[in-house]
Amino acid sequence: MKTRNKFVIGGAVILAVLIALSVQGLQEMTVFFYTPQEVLASPGKFEDKTIRIGALVQKGSVEWNAQAIQLSFKITEDGKKFIPVFYAGVKPDLFREGQGVVVEGKMKGQRFEANQLLVKHSEEYTVETEHKKNKEDYYKSIQAQ
Amino acid sequence: MKKIIFLLEWTSIIGLLACALWVFLKLPIEASQGFPQKIMYLHVPSVITTYLAFFVVFVFSIAYLWKRELMFDQIAKASAEVGLVFCALVLITGAIWGQTTWGTYWVWDARLTTTLLLFLIFMGYFLLRMSVNDRDKEARLASVLGIIGFLDIPIIHKSVEWWRTLHQPSTLFKVDSGEAKPSMPSELLYPLLATIFVMLAFYLFLLLLRFQTEKRIDTLNQLLAETQD
Repeated sequence: MKTRNKFVIGGAVILAVLIALSVQGLQEMTVFFYTPQEVLASPGKFEDKTIRIGALVQKGSVEWNAQAIQLSFKITEDGKKFIPVFYAGVKPDLFREGQGVVVEGKMKGQRFEANQLLVKHSEEYTVETEHKKNKEDYYKSIQAQ
Repeated sequence: MKKIIFLLEWTSIIGLLACALWVFLKLPIEASQGFPQKIMYLHVPSVITTYLAFFVVFVFSIAYLWKRELMFDQIAKASAEVGLVFCALVLITGAIWGQTTWGTYWVWDARLTTTLLLFLIFMGYFLLRMSVNDRDKEARLASVLGIIGFLDIPIIHKSVEWWRTLHQPSTLFKVDSGEAKPSMPSELLYPLLATIFVMLAFYLFLLLLRFQTEKRIDTLNQLLAETQD
């Protein structure tokens, strides 16, 4: 076999592996999180697999146990179907009811046990007039924290 | 040329200082994020500057392949260098902002991954340049990579619409029923536009400065080659 042919075959193999890897990587990248509906629709597919779910925190569902540092809440996409989430960790500063979150963890039966809780923020920026008036109070409050 | 560089230098120094004072002393606090929102005034202008810098690389790379004028390659190289610095700034400020709002420095979502890819492509761009000794060959190869590298930018920009990402969609380029409607109040928006303007002046200053240096390096190398002959 000629040296050139070896290079061509070797190159083709490397290229094929690279393409296969990037296609797989792209699929993972493009689906950064699943929705509650997708997870609830096929429970068998997601059971005991580390996944991310992105949804909104249902209003009135948040229970924060500051002593045990445990947070539980329900997430939903449409306000009809919910997944209860349990997270043992510090509550993020921007975590609020009605807020978009991405949780990473595993489905354990009906409950999602998260080991990471990420808070999405909206592209809308607003100014509260109250904040404007009490800017000094705000600075004092963050210094006091 | 000297006059323009001098003017741009002082516009950016005074402008950046004025913007910093405006942002930290005059601006109201954003309602949902609070103080950390102010990092936007470094992050977003850096993004726009990165986009522009690599667009300049794109245009002058095409121009070089077409006309084979050394000056075009010098401009492309200078712009890529400045763009790489601003791209690093985007990644760093984004990580800091991400930690305070999302709760993580980094995730492998589409927006962040494609931005890192842009950074790596242009790191490769300079490695490629360093590995080639022939000046014309260097310019040709770099032009091709510069053109390909730029194509990542539309993907970055659209990534938040095409795929599910942790990163939120664009605020500045928000379009509502065919009309451009940035989703922020004018008291937060105007300083952002001003910072973008100043940052672009700063980019132009760095670009011209680097271009001059590149031109001198090439002239010097040509003279050296001639004396050796």
